[in-house]
Amino acid sequence: MEEVIKAEHLTKDYGGGRGIFDISFFITKGEVFGFVGTNGSGKTTTIRHIMGFIKPKNGTVTVLGMDAWKDACKIKESVAYIPGEIAFPDLTTGIEFLKAQAELLGLKSMDRAEELIKRLQLDPSANLKRMSKGMKQKTAIVAALMADKDILILDEPTTGLDPLMRETFLELILEEKRKGKTILMSSQMFDELEETCDRVALIYDGKIIDIADVNALKSSTIKSYKIEFLDKEDYLKFKKLKYKIIRDQEKYYQVTVQIDDSEINRLFKSLSKYKLKFISEIKFNLEKHFKDILEKEVKGGKNVF
Amino acid sequence: MYFSKALFKQSMKANWVKWLCVTVATCVMLAIVIIVLGSLAINDIRDSLKDVFEQADQEGYLNENSVDSYEAYTLSVDFANQLDDPMLSMFAGTAYNMAVSGYQEKIDAYTEANGQAPTGEALETIKEEAATEFITENESILAMLNMTDEEISQFLYIVYMTHDNNPTLDTTNNETVITELKESFVEYAGLTAYNLYISQGETEEVANGYRLQAVELANTAINSYEQKSQEEGFVYDEEVFKEEANEYVINMIYTQTYNQFITSETPTEEEISNAEQYAVAAKVLANTAISTYELWIDELTGSEMTDAEIKAYAKEQASASITDQIPEKVAEALEELGNMDIYGLIIGSIFYRIAGILLPMVFVIMVANGLLAGQVDSGSMAYVLSTPTKRRTVACTQMAYLMLSLLAMFLLVTVTSVISIWVVGGNNFAINFAEICLFNLGAFLTMFAFAGYCFMCSAIFNRSKYSMSIGGGLSIFMLVCTILGLFGSNVVPSAMRIDAMNVFNYFSIISLFDTVSILNGTISFAWKFAILAGIAIVTFIIGVFRFEKKDLPL
Amino acid sequence: MNIIEVDNLTQDYGHGRGVFDVSFAIREGEVFGFLGPNGAGKSTTIRHIMGFSRPQKGETRVFNLESFHNYYKILSNVGYLPGEIALPEGLTGWEFIKMMSDLRKTKDKERLIYLLKKFDLNPAVSTKSMSLGEKRKLAIVTAFMDDPEVLVLDEPTSGLDPVMQQVFIDFIKEEKKRGKTILLSSHMFNEVEATCDRIAIIKDGRIVTIFNANFIKHNENKLYDISFDKLEDLDNFVKDFPKAKLKDDLVVKFGVKEIFKNQLSVHVAVNDKQVNDFIEMIVNYKIKSFTELKLTLEDYFMTFYREDKDYGGMLKWKK
Repeated sequence: MEEVIKAEHLTKDYGGGRGIFDISFFITKGEVFGFVGTNGSGKTTTIRHIMGFIKPKNGTVTVLGMDAWKDACKIKESVAYIPGEIAFPDLTTGIEFLKAQAELLGLKSMDRAEELIKRLQLDPSANLKRMSKGMKQKTAIVAALMADKDILILDEPTTGLDPLMRETFLELILEEKRKGKTILMSSQMFDELEETCDRVALIYDGKIIDIADVNALKSSTIKSYKIEFLDKEDYLKFKKLKYKIIRDQEKYYQVTVQIDDSEINRLFKSLSKYKLKFISEIKFNLEKHFKDILEKEVKGGKNVF
Repeated sequence: MYFSKALFKQSMKANWVKWLCVTVATCVMLAIVIIVLGSLAINDIRDSLKDVFEQADQEGYLNENSVDSYEAYTLSVDFANQLDDPMLSMFAGTAYNMAVSGYQEKIDAYTEANGQAPTGEALETIKEEAATEFITENESILAMLNMTDEEISQFLYIVYMTHDNNPTLDTTNNETVITELKESFVEYAGLTAYNLYISQGETEEVANGYRLQAVELANTAINSYEQKSQEEGFVYDEEVFKEEANEYVINMIYTQTYNQFITSETPTEEEISNAEQYAVAAKVLANTAISTYELWIDELTGSEMTDAEIKAYAKEQASASITDQIPEKVAEALEELGNMDIYGLIIGSIFYRIAGILLPMVFVIMVANGLLAGQVDSGSMAYVLSTPTKRRTVACTQMAYLMLSLLAMFLLVTVTSVISIWVVGGNNFAINFAEICLFNLGAFLTMFAFAGYCFMCSAIFNRSKYSMSIGGGLSIFMLVCTILGLFGSNVVPSAMRIDAMNVFNYFSIISLFDTVSILNGTISFAWKFAILAGIAIVTFIIGVFRFEKKDLPL
Repeated sequence: MNIIEVDNLTQDYGHGRGVFDVSFAIREGEVFGFLGPNGAGKSTTIRHIMGFSRPQKGETRVFNLESFHNYYKILSNVGYLPGEIALPEGLTGWEFIKMMSDLRKTKDKERLIYLLKKFDLNPAVSTKSMSLGEKRKLAIVTAFMDDPEVLVLDEPTSGLDPVMQQVFIDFIKEEKKRGKTILLSSHMFNEVEATCDRIAIIKDGRIVTIFNANFIKHNENKLYDISFDKLEDLDNFVKDFPKAKLKDDLVVKFGVKEIFKNQLSVHVAVNDKQVNDFIEMIVNYKIKSFTELKLTLEDYFMTFYREDKDYGGMLKWKK
């Protein structure tokens, strides 16, 4: 599998513990790869290295086999970028900006741009300075996607978008994915990464703590259920059964059990003996996965809060 | 190659309004300055100031000349009077012989010693020696004569001259002797005048003219005396002859001046009346000078000054002109003012080096910042660099934009200035076409240097606030230094100059724009221009390289 | 007792922008959520409550005092966190805090220190070099350092990372426990869902619904996805299992709601009250997996917006 983007022991130390340290990962062709982490954790710094805006102190980062700093210009022929902070150059309208970008990109036709404009319901004739945050973000999205590049690098692309626009945007991303594009997307929202990504890396304090396989998570056969019993007796009796209990709330006669799918029939058999108030699933999603890992980091002596 | 048309267009779009405003404002200012100044009569004022000084000089000469002639006249009369002395007339021959003998002895001694008769300086020396000897030997006798030692030696000198001209004079006839002496006197007067003007640097012709004038004057004076003295009941009255002298001199001056202003053989009426006007004015001046002279002599007689000193002082006062009456420093200042080139000052030093630099500088500071640092600061540079555009291309394109927009600006300014100069008279104007073009070139190169520097700051720094405060701040600082330094430079006349302020000129590269050198036609401005260009090129290149290599927080 | 009352508030800015006939009331000790996209009218409503704008029609009251004319009295006991963080430049965090506490005449420094610790904020830095998150934290600290009774929060965690969001959510919960009344306006579902008692959804300047949060969180009406190993098993199940009876999204009788033959799964709707009957039945079948299809606040919200797929609340530009 072709490694489109590869970082090996990438390090950039800004002092005072800030920066990125020994970051290694790779992104294969056609993959949607997510970056999640708090502000200042190193997401943007890593992306800046990939874009060739800054050079590493140690380690390497390559795109399509080319060094990101030395061959930055050549790499851009295949890369589209949405920056973290939307700040347009000193031009008047959205159209002017899009045309200027098109020229810089060597784009011959504005067809795709117009398609996107319609899709996102953007009015590009509006004055850049007077656009709302959402419109600015849409303009930036059009500017990046209109060139139909094979690699997309998106730095927190849904900030400032309200739920409706976010939905449309994620739809677009999934479309691009289906076209076979390779996408790197950073975000602070777990759910949107879960929706779109194949793998997601958790960055914390400048280091990659974990890379999760989203598909595996989604198709995991491990499930957790929160069960509340109507009376205390049933609650106590159930607890004695050999199920893995991951949370216990005596006050509400609640337990949370974790089982594999293969055990579901057995569970129902057990439950049929008791009187339940409700049974609800506690989804094990990306957020939970990472939160668990972070807690381990906390227990390891680091202060998350 | 390292140029992106799209980026260039983007920069143009972002900055064309600023460019237009600054260019139009600068052109309008320049046109107004040149045309308005051109229609003012500033140089006329300056010229008339000059005229005043020249006129004053001429007046001085005229006065001096009048007093000199007056003195000569009275002296001649005096001489004639002395020769009239009964004692002298009786013993004229004898005295003559006595004086001559000593003189001739010396000549003979010299001839014998040197094998030839003395001439020129040697002769003069002998005359001096002989006169001194004679005075010393005959002190007692000479005391009876009412003459100063100086007068006596002058007299002796004339005696020697007479002897030189007429070695075989018959000294038995007193009258003959006296006549000869008188002739010698007249010749002597002419010679003195002649020598005076030669020593003042006049041509032989002019000096000769004055010699003839002096001879005529002496003759007239002596003849007049002779005439009068032979009348019944003649008493020598100095005053009478002084009046006569006065009259004679002022008429002489009248004629002289009149002739000066009649240049053609058949003068027009206008010319005649013009000449008459000047002649009358000159006559009045001469009269005044002589009166002043006499008044001063009256005043100072009886004081501690010797006669010679009194005469010298009186003459000085009489021949003073306006300019002699103003304190020296003021006179110097006014003269300098009269020689000053106001246009050069206002257009060259003030407009082109200050006002015409200020607006383009504001343009350069803002635009240079916005081309690189400003876009990195705001983050919009990320869009450009997210495309297949090399950093070097970005830097070079922006550099090209800055250079070309400056060039376009100054081309328009140059055209405006040339048209304005043409409107106020073209090459006849105080500043000609070549000079104004050099001014424009100088201003352009100065701005070019600032542009390079501001561009470099914009390339080095990632934040607008540093780019503008270090780039723009230093630039404005230099401009302010130039303004302050203006007051200490030699562009401003010394009356207004404060030399200490000149130190500010060393802090500003605008000093390399040498407008004075351009106006004077010297070449020193050229190598200074080269330095400005050099600064520009070096800073631009540093900027491009720095932008290529540094980290960008995009 | 109603702390905040909004009575038929109308403010028309033209071009369809503004708020139209908005009414709701917030009780003492309640956390009230205001949910809607950008431009829907949330900030406008809040501006009226705070007394910054004067209603064209209708009225807003706080502590039973009309907002616009009594803002001075109101504001002394209301902590307001505006949506846009605009801090004055050239100050350090400390200087800003001092300035605000002088303006508010805050006496109690303890609360300030507590908040600083809780949000892990170091105010010694200059505001210009603070990240967005730090700026927001600073705003939060200064808004609540004198412990007001009422908290009005406009998009408080926008731009904050998940960790900080959680800190903030915990803070809201804590304040609620202390008996404060809170109005939380946001378009972030997780924070609204986590903290609010009641939620109003606003669209195009109008309130479309107000509902109790429990409707989402502890909705008795559940939908489960049950998958099978073989088509046979599915067919058997479908044959025997009852069909669900629904009335307006409420489950009257549990049963199969939808069948997905291709995926070998069915959706079953069950009301909690009937869960035991449901289990009794399900025990008889061999199933592959059992998962719940949760109704999230986002889903519920989207139902109002998807209806016409018109991005209501977006700024419409006239050409």
